[in-house]
Amino acid sequence: LVAYIGYVGLGAGVLQALERPAEVRAAQHLLQQHWELLANHTCLRGAALQRLVEGIVQAYKSGITLQGNTTSLGRWDFSGSFFFSISAITTIGYGNLSPSTVAGRIFCILFALFGIPLNLVLLNEIGQLMLLGVQRCAHRLEEVFHWQKKASLLVKTCALVTGLLLFLLLPPVLFSDKEGWSYEEGFYYSFITLSTIGFGDYVIGMNPDRTYPGWYKNVISLWILFGMAWLALVIKFCINFLE
Amino acid sequence: KAMCSGKLQTGLLVAGYFVYLLVGAAVFQVLERTAEKQEKMAAAQMKEAFLQNFTHLTVAEMEQFMKNLTEAIQNGVYPVGNESQIEDSSWDFSNSFFFAGTVVSTIGYGTLHPKTAGGQIFCVFFALFGIPLNIVFLHRVGKMLSLLCKKLGKFLHEKGMRKKKIKFLTLLFFLATGILVFLCLPSVFFQITEGWSYSEGIYFAFITLSTIGFGDYVVGKQPGRNYFSYYRMLVAIWILFGLAWIALLFNL
Repeated sequence: LVAYIGYVGLGAGVLQALERPAEVRAAQHLLQQHWELLANHTCLRGAALQRLVEGIVQAYKSGITLQGNTTSLGRWDFSGSFFFSISAITTIGYGNLSPSTVAGRIFCILFALFGIPLNLVLLNEIGQLMLLGVQRCAHRLEEVFHWQKKASLLVKTCALVTGLLLFLLLPPVLFSDKEGWSYEEGFYYSFITLSTIGFGDYVIGMNPDRTYPGWYKNVISLWILFGMAWLALVIKFCINFLE
Repeated sequence: KAMCSGKLQTGLLVAGYFVYLLVGAAVFQVLERTAEKQEKMAAAQMKEAFLQNFTHLTVAEMEQFMKNLTEAIQNGVYPVGNESQIEDSSWDFSNSFFFAGTVVSTIGYGTLHPKTAGGQIFCVFFALFGIPLNIVFLHRVGKMLSLLCKKLGKFLHEKGMRKKKIKFLTLLFFLATGILVFLCLPSVFFQITEGWSYSEGIYFAFITLSTIGFGDYVVGKQPGRNYFSYYRMLVAIWILFGLAWIALLFNL
């Protein structure tokens, strides 16, 4: 227990040190703009502006950006709802889209109540299949090359590396092309998604200025599924190692 | 023949999973679409009204300002108020601790998130070791609780109850007390401290304890409310034990 709290505390300290200065800068920058706008238009009284700002913040929280005149695609279209369902039962829970109606919320709870176990069972299955495949490869290698213990270790590391490549190292390249994120941001997004933390600060397919190919969201959904199964296996091994 | 039925089972599972997702998507769409439309109209009206009141403000300037504002909000800087707000940080130690907790438990609300590249990379590695640590920890707590369970079972067995009945009763007991302590009572608590309605409280409790963590409701984030100093810590303890309870349910 002490180790747990200590670990969390340590992380808190480091993050605070890393994030504070950037935050201060952003706040100052915004305040500057605020005063600039007021100075440029002296008839703009502070109170009216304040109300507008609050209104924008409110709209943002409900996920609406007020850019331009275009009536942008509704976010609760079928594709968006499908992605939302995935984020609910995988417990990723981005939160950029979340039910605002009472009925939607009640349905969400029930949906997750049955969906999460279903998801766990499926991930378990996929993980077992992956493990089976790895073991079969190890067997084949043992038969062909007559290595004994080495084969198992070799295949396991191979599987780990391919998984790493496929699920964590290559997708950021796709993301930097389709989303315009830097490689580091894509990597951060990949890990946060596959570990089901899912902050929602980065979400694919949410940029109104970009066009996405039709296969994009579906491929990503598959990636999430298999990537989560793989990461779950890796974490299981980590736990066995810890215990 | 066993292999065949195994493959069939997996196939059915995969098919069932996707059907489940499709059904969910359709229902969510139906439920949320109209509300979203209304909010969009309200937002556009507000924008219109503002522009009308200040006619010398060009649309371009307005758009620029809104863009800057949205960027700031995305960076977590809420521009309500004045200078003094720069002093209150979202990254003070108490908030950072809470954040680290949401990372390690994989809840991940997202109302607070690292924006610097260094912070993000650190977050990834912090989670890589923190999540297994969290799972091991919850496992231990779950084991202790299940020992308690077994003692209760033994006590009842000595009184002459059958094993099946005992198992059923202990499961029911833990389910009922858990729902009360981790879902119903906290919602009443949140009604007082956060001003949420009872159903909002239940929604928040469920979304948090299932580690989905949308972030649309988060404790301690209502502006203009005074929270007593150990509030966050209390909530964190609740989350911890709630998660352990769920782990225990899985074990039973």
